[in-house]
Amino acid sequence: MKKFLAAMISAGILISGCGGGNSVADDKNTFTYGTVAYGVAMENAGTNPHESYSGWSTIRYGIGETLFKFNEHMELEPWIAESFAQIDDYTVQIKINDAAVFSNGKKVDGEAVKKCLEHLIANHDRAPHDLKISAITADGQTVTITSTEKVPALLNYLSDPYGCIIDIDAGFDDKIVVGTGPYRAVKVTDTQIDLVRNENYWGAVKPKLEKIIVRSITDGDTLTMAMQNGELDAVQGLPYSSLKLFDNDNFKISQVDTSRVYQAAFNFDTPELQDLNVRRAISMAIDKENFTKVLLDGNGTAAVGPFPANLSFGDNAVHAAAYDLDGAKNLLAESGWIDTDGDGYVDKDGKNLELRYLTYTSRQELPLLAEAAQANLKKIGVKLNVNATDNYKTFLRDGEYDIFSKAIVTAPTGDAEYYFTSHIVSGAVDNAGHYDSAEISRLENELHNTFGAANRSALAVQMSQQILDDCALFYASHLRMSFVMKNNVVGFYAHPSDYYEITAELEKK
Amino acid sequence: MRKYILSRMIQLVPILLGITFLTFGMMQFTADDAVDKIYEGSVSEEIKSAKRAELGLDKNFMIQYGNWLGGVITGDMGRSFISGKLVFETFAEKLPATIELMLVSILLTILIATPAGILAAVKQNKFPDYLIRALSFIGNSMPNFFVGLLLIYFLALKLNLLPIIGASVIMPALTLTISMGAKYTRQIRAVVLEELKKPYVMGARSRGVSEFTILTKSVLPSILVPVITLLALSIGSLLGGTAIVETIFMWDGVGKMAVDAILMRDYPLIQAYVVWMAIIYVVINLAADLLYRFLDPRIRYGENG
Repeated sequence: MKKFLAAMISAGILISGCGGGNSVADDKNTFTYGTVAYGVAMENAGTNPHESYSGWSTIRYGIGETLFKFNEHMELEPWIAESFAQIDDYTVQIKINDAAVFSNGKKVDGEAVKKCLEHLIANHDRAPHDLKISAITADGQTVTITSTEKVPALLNYLSDPYGCIIDIDAGFDDKIVVGTGPYRAVKVTDTQIDLVRNENYWGAVKPKLEKIIVRSITDGDTLTMAMQNGELDAVQGLPYSSLKLFDNDNFKISQVDTSRVYQAAFNFDTPELQDLNVRRAISMAIDKENFTKVLLDGNGTAAVGPFPANLSFGDNAVHAAAYDLDGAKNLLAESGWIDTDGDGYVDKDGKNLELRYLTYTSRQELPLLAEAAQANLKKIGVKLNVNATDNYKTFLRDGEYDIFSKAIVTAPTGDAEYYFTSHIVSGAVDNAGHYDSAEISRLENELHNTFGAANRSALAVQMSQQILDDCALFYASHLRMSFVMKNNVVGFYAHPSDYYEITAELEKK
Repeated sequence: MRKYILSRMIQLVPILLGITFLTFGMMQFTADDAVDKIYEGSVSEEIKSAKRAELGLDKNFMIQYGNWLGGVITGDMGRSFISGKLVFETFAEKLPATIELMLVSILLTILIATPAGILAAVKQNKFPDYLIRALSFIGNSMPNFFVGLLLIYFLALKLNLLPIIGASVIMPALTLTISMGAKYTRQIRAVVLEELKKPYVMGARSRGVSEFTILTKSVLPSILVPVITLLALSIGSLLGGTAIVETIFMWDGVGKMAVDAILMRDYPLIQAYVVWMAIIYVVINLAADLLYRFLDPRIRYGENG
């Protein structure tokens, strides 16, 4: 039997063409990258940015670039564009960098950008609704974009991955596009992208690697062992529990807080939660530090408001009541919620303070937050009945919840307005708590008509603070994203936008 | 014979109609659809409504099912809601990997389980029998995902014999073989034991026929029918893909495709998968029935007599 197994394994080695795993990853000119974030189920299996979420692959893997890019504070900087001028509230003029060329050697001029943006609007599902473009004109290296209504965040939207500038004339055969990035795709399947160096790359830093293989590996254990085995040079999406295996001299870890936040909205239709004291007491009883440190294994940062501290309108600019169990109990008592029958739960008019907490399981952290909240609130005498189900939409539709917890990326394009219009303003589609604030509506109206990053940031701070003052929601933690790489890999960093992964700086020493 | 095959094929029609209607119906019970899955609540209702209209999800259930059925009858399985690719094309891309994995694991299973089962029966209640029974017990008890991870851990990580992310069929096939082999071994052992107790074996022994000849000439052919029954079931289930093994070993087959399609509420792909599974089981069971008649004269004559 042993001989037979040995023979079969040897045959397998011959069939697979390589014994032992790490020969490819040992080659200094080839970079093998394992990720859980690529594939059909992620909507990004392909490189055509005008198709669903495929633009994420175009930009992440260094195939395409946008007119502007985000820095580590999620502020816009020129990329393919050299500069811009806001002509009026409806018109913006963008000057294209004269040096920019596509990977096929063709110059990126105003006409090429116009053609690309027109194709984007004609084919993409989300872009036309975000950009609201009525006309695009090109003249030499200049593109002028006119909108049907005021879109102060237009440049942010153009920096979404769908805004990658590609050569439309080069076509989209085999899911391959011609972009301006440091690498170009030569083979694209549902599970793998093969890239080679763009010899025509126009940027100041030239790409160093000859070949990059991006592999979709959705099983966390397989991803971990392939990294341990040396078959991969870097990985994205390791399970939290695996990260500590790489906390040694053979590996490096790059981490950054993203704008994905774990939040919980109070349902204002629930009579008990219409009392600010009750909402504040609950918010004060959630031990965010402990949740982040213990349950998330330190892979996050305790949140104050909806945006992480690396944004100008993030957690450093707002404040919320601190974790304080005694303070929370006092607030409840002030509103008449006292444990009169000694059953461990506060009551009023003969009824315990018992709430339904709805969440879903497809984000592994949410059920953990639910359990943490349940244990935390028991300490102040509030009973939480957790309903963690992926059928949560039925319960949302039927109003069968008092608190709804979810994970959401609050500033995907570095601008706060989308979060407020989708989750916070009265009547917004994802305003699960039915929160209705006249002050929020007024500020949102102002934000919608305000241009300039600094002014918009100041308004976003005011709005976030209003949410926290009203205790309309509580924010538990901002997710930290981690990349693990071999210690000879340089120029590979986790970015708060989650957009840029493979860049010209990437190399293996 | 031709009539028999034809009648079995005709039976396929109501089966297909029934299960595709049921699957389509069950999908309607979920609170969300493909559009909710695509956007995960991150876009306005306006965009979602436009997408629903584009995919035909705004129409009522019967119209949606009718449209799908009409397409299938004219040879058009539709396009995936998620990838936009033709369903037929998607299947054609994934099937070769599934068939390769099925063939290799079936072959390995037969090569391992047949001698092991016979050995255990011949050496009943002796050390080889105990060892083989213990191994089959372990093989039967361990779930596939655990076996797969153990194989990666030992063969790739510790012994560095095989790559984890290479396109080798050996590890996924071994994973499947371990659990299937365990079942086959126990089954073959039981059949051989039963066969060895039959009077014709005692007769042969008393005539001085060697044990080897008895085993190869008489016993071995007799285990073919139960093995074929098992094979029909195994081939059917393997051709449906093995989602967990495919996920662990990044084997791009139809199993993972089906699970992804269900998670993403990709109705055209789910429906195509259901049709595929129904056809596989009907065709393979038919092939097994025909093989019984060919391999075992008792079945053939029993019918005629």
